[in-house]
Amino acid sequence: MVINSFRFLAFFAVVFLVYFLPWMRQRHTRQNLWLLLASYFFYGFVDWKMLPVLLAITVAFWFLGGFIRKSIDRGNAKAASRFTTLGVVFGIGLLFYFKYLNFFAGSFAKLLNAIGLHVSWSTLNIVLPVGVSFFTFKLISYVIEIHREKIQPSESFLEFATYIAFFPTIMAGPIDRPGKFLPQLRQAHQFNYNLAMDGCQQILWGVFTKMVIADSIAVITHGAWALYPEKTSWYLIYAALLSPIQVYADFDGYSNMAIGVGKILGFNITKNFDHPLLARNVSEYWRRWHLSLTGWITDYVFMPLNVRFRNWGNLGIFLAISINLLVIGMWHGANWTYVLFGVYHSLLFLPLILTGKFGKNKKLKSGRRGCVQFKDLLGMIGTHLLMALGHIIIFSAGVPSIIRLFKCMINGDWFFVNPLSLLSWYSILSIVVLLVLEWFTRNKEFAIQRVSKDYTSKTFRIVFLDMLLALAIVIFSASANAEFVYFQF
Amino acid sequence: MERSEIYEKLNEIFCDVLDLDEVHLTDASVADDIEEWDSLSHIQLIVAIEKAFGIKFTSLEIMKWNNVGEMVNSIIAKKQ
Repeated sequence: MVINSFRFLAFFAVVFLVYFLPWMRQRHTRQNLWLLLASYFFYGFVDWKMLPVLLAITVAFWFLGGFIRKSIDRGNAKAASRFTTLGVVFGIGLLFYFKYLNFFAGSFAKLLNAIGLHVSWSTLNIVLPVGVSFFTFKLISYVIEIHREKIQPSESFLEFATYIAFFPTIMAGPIDRPGKFLPQLRQAHQFNYNLAMDGCQQILWGVFTKMVIADSIAVITHGAWALYPEKTSWYLIYAALLSPIQVYADFDGYSNMAIGVGKILGFNITKNFDHPLLARNVSEYWRRWHLSLTGWITDYVFMPLNVRFRNWGNLGIFLAISINLLVIGMWHGANWTYVLFGVYHSLLFLPLILTGKFGKNKKLKSGRRGCVQFKDLLGMIGTHLLMALGHIIIFSAGVPSIIRLFKCMINGDWFFVNPLSLLSWYSILSIVVLLVLEWFTRNKEFAIQRVSKDYTSKTFRIVFLDMLLALAIVIFSASANAEFVYFQF
Repeated sequence: MERSEIYEKLNEIFCDVLDLDEVHLTDASVADDIEEWDSLSHIQLIVAIEKAFGIKFTSLEIMKWNNVGEMVNSIIAKKQ
């Protein structure tokens, strides 16, 4: 059940109406119970067989959180560390079992066969629970934050289970941290008109970028990754150049929808993107891309490693960044292409570390007439080209396919393809609109957000823009049921 | 060592590592207050602080800090 579907609209209408009934608004526990039931229904609708797994894992982590806090209170730091380690190992173990066991066992069998030891490996039939990469990270952060004494364990199981299964974000994030989200479940939510309107605007923008921009580019990129031997060099080059825009428009579109749905219910969900197409180097790109994941990995993987390697100079930084990027690559799934993606990105960091340019960049400043400065523009184009290369790696079926695809890209038929023949005029127009808006609305949470966040007065401009976007979605949406790219992770 | 002396020294370290002209740290200061202070420069700051005060923090100690005040508490505890 994707957010941009009529089925979801019907589901959400029921959730919304009951959630804000006067009787429900009196107590947050009633609202939480309703949200939990709705979330479990939503999850069960997609994957009912995994519901008991989700419930059992949630129960286990809730108890672990309590044990860690009790150990800290008793002054038993060792026991607290042990329980935390158990939680982290359990969480990673779950991911390993569901996502990677087939992959590692298969790779190991291939390796043994390659050195002459013939083993037969029949793939285990492990079903991947939907959203496992996202809710497992929430569970792990819960135990670590309690151990670091940043949060108190949740006293109510209902509250904790609602946080883990919260339906707008369980499928593909954003990965909310317990310190930010749990307090929001400790108060009854009254309907907040301005926040809900802000959410509606955000959903509208998300649907537009997903259905008008991402889905129309997806037709080209899917064709390129799956049927590259039949495509011309120009086609493959266009596909690679468009891919970072497609994935951004897709995942940012999804994130905006999820955040918008949360806002209508009165929740503030973590931001997932900060205009990554405006990044001037790879380091800046990672500070702008999939923030809820990169922030999680920075806090729980990068920082502990960096602290440990802190006296090793540039080598320590490079090691910490490389491991960090390998984890990010592997988080996407079980394939050597994801490992290679991590290696590729860590190599991109090497010149930045050696020249000391890996730190936070200065805020973007406008040039003449509010336009982007030439030097910044060059950085953005260079970063985009590097990202495009990375997309060839991550979206190829396997490592041999990457090499073959590159060969096709270089040695293929150089018959020039008119971009207009690949993309419709409205897709090109909407990409240009997206890029221009990215620049001019870079200080906003999303492009069509009102600066004041006050929607009580509707100006003609806002209503006109909304209607224009809605019309564009109705007329130009490429496909009504296109999957989101990040659902596969 | 007085708290004010520690802050005087910290202000110097922050200016030096983050390449700032001046900074006025308080107990409530956090990374979001200073644009140049991110996860990477944070480690450079810790290395510089450990060197300047002749102390060594544990990993868990560093992870637990919520603001500069808590870091100063750790420095005072180590110097006693």
